[in-house]
Amino acid sequence: MADNPSGLVVETYKLTKIYQNRQIALNDVSLTVEPGCVLGLLGPNGAGKTTFVRLALGLHRPTAGWVKVFGSTMTPNAADLRRRIGYIPTNPKFPPGMTPITYLDYMARLFGLPADVRKPRLASLIRAVDLLAVSGERIAGFSNGMTSRLAVAASLINEPDLLIWDEPTHGLDPEARRSMLELIKTLSREKTLIVSSHNLGDIDEVCNHAAVLSRGQLIYNGSLQDLKGRMRRNHYELDLEGDQKAIGKASNAIKNMTEFKAVTLKQRRLDLRLNDEATNTSALANVFMTLADNKVTLVSIRSVGQQTEQAFLDLVEKEESRGFARAYQSEEAA
Amino acid sequence: MDAATADRAPKINRWLPYWAVLQADVRQTLHGWVWRTWVIVSVLAAVGCLLYRLGVYREAGMVQLASKVTGDLLRWSILGSVTVIIVLTASSISGDRGTLADSVLCRGISRYQYFFAKWHARLATVLGTFLILGAAVLVSSHFLLQEDLSLLGSGVALLTLALLLATVVTCGVAVSALTNSTVMGVTMLWLLIYGTGFVLSMLPARFPSLDQALTRIQFMLQGQYDLQYLGQLTMWSAIVSGVAALVGVGYFARRDV
Repeated sequence: MADNPSGLVVETYKLTKIYQNRQIALNDVSLTVEPGCVLGLLGPNGAGKTTFVRLALGLHRPTAGWVKVFGSTMTPNAADLRRRIGYIPTNPKFPPGMTPITYLDYMARLFGLPADVRKPRLASLIRAVDLLAVSGERIAGFSNGMTSRLAVAASLINEPDLLIWDEPTHGLDPEARRSMLELIKTLSREKTLIVSSHNLGDIDEVCNHAAVLSRGQLIYNGSLQDLKGRMRRNHYELDLEGDQKAIGKASNAIKNMTEFKAVTLKQRRLDLRLNDEATNTSALANVFMTLADNKVTLVSIRSVGQQTEQAFLDLVEKEESRGFARAYQSEEAA
Repeated sequence: MDAATADRAPKINRWLPYWAVLQADVRQTLHGWVWRTWVIVSVLAAVGCLLYRLGVYREAGMVQLASKVTGDLLRWSILGSVTVIIVLTASSISGDRGTLADSVLCRGISRYQYFFAKWHARLATVLGTFLILGAAVLVSSHFLLQEDLSLLGSGVALLTLALLLATVVTCGVAVSALTNSTVMGVTMLWLLIYGTGFVLSMLPARFPSLDQALTRIQFMLQGQYDLQYLGQLTMWSAIVSGVAALVGVGYFARRDV
């Protein structure tokens, strides 16, 4: 095994992928993944998440730039590197006619594991993913949850140091999704993970780092905490109690305040959107004063939009609004 | 890798991925409807033809030379089988493209191993099937018809045909590695094989061709074969197969899947 002087699990430099000179799937992506990191690869559909994953696995070749895994350049023939990676594709497919036992045995043989290693390992994995009762049945008849669990077992059969899971909760019911997230949390204690998803709730729950892709460009790479710190807290919902006329009057008074760009009253729920330059504490203080003046009781107040989701949407929105500016900034940076 | 990781890392068998894909592919082919249809149709055609010739021989008393009957049977079965073999081989890699190939190629296998495993699996399946069916036809002809078959000649005839089929299989797997869809691969290969066969049949007799080889089968079965011609045929088949395999593996090792 080659030495890894950088100590990084994954490192990409100016990674670019253009499909048949027609589609720019990934553009100039440079990022690093350190050991023990749980990286959430975020982005809307078509952002380049799967392309990034496939480049990291050597299933695709970069048009420009490079990707190193465990310090060595990943290529389509880098079987030694892939022996240390466990991968789950989106919607994993299985060879027809196989059972969980034959499939996992096949996967283990693809990693070159001898029989005395792979047989006990596949047996314990089948037990761990709760497929023991159906271990001799054909995979063709399995539900989404069962195939996902089998894909998890296949990705762990080689005891990998790096796990790359592409949309692992895609198509799962809430119970199966919960189990999957718990499994990721457990695995993250001893392995490095890259979890690609557009489900921000999942990323928020299990990841400690995030890389946000938008139209093939990396627009954020850092800790999830930092990403949340970028969030604009400018959307609130207030549940009110009191006379409906008084609530209406208070609402009209709030509408006249300059800190708010939108104020909507629906029955007894007040929806407030702050201007970008407004400070939320002083604006909300004014709201509370107005409510008190009109003898309206506040039942609850909440910040709308899940934190990561809001931060992510803000990032994508900002990136899209930059337009041509990004080209000039790139040139300056170069 | 630290010492602890190195200690617990199991010994890797580097040939195991190759064997795994080869075995899985053979199993998959044998369970596929294309192979099964090929075998059933070939067996029915051979049995029907042999019974008809046997009837003519026994009832009408017309002598049916085993070499002629078997030669015709082999020639027509080869001409018919080539289309099926084209379908069987042109789908070998392109048919798996997508998530099914992902789940294999993302593991500890190189593209070279994958290509060679697929190629050898299809060679084993096609040639194994052909040799077993061909041997069964020869044995049946030997016992049922006017026996003029030479044992050595029969072996040479079968091997010659196997050589031609090996070339078709290699070209098929190579085309499959080059194309994105099975339909495209089948079309390309069909045009390539039949087009080349047609062009070669137009050339002077000194150039070996599929047509010539098939015409000579009857004489080969009687033990009359030209070693120089067979050597030439073997050489050209090996060259075509080698070049096709090199192009296929070279391209597949660098392409996106």
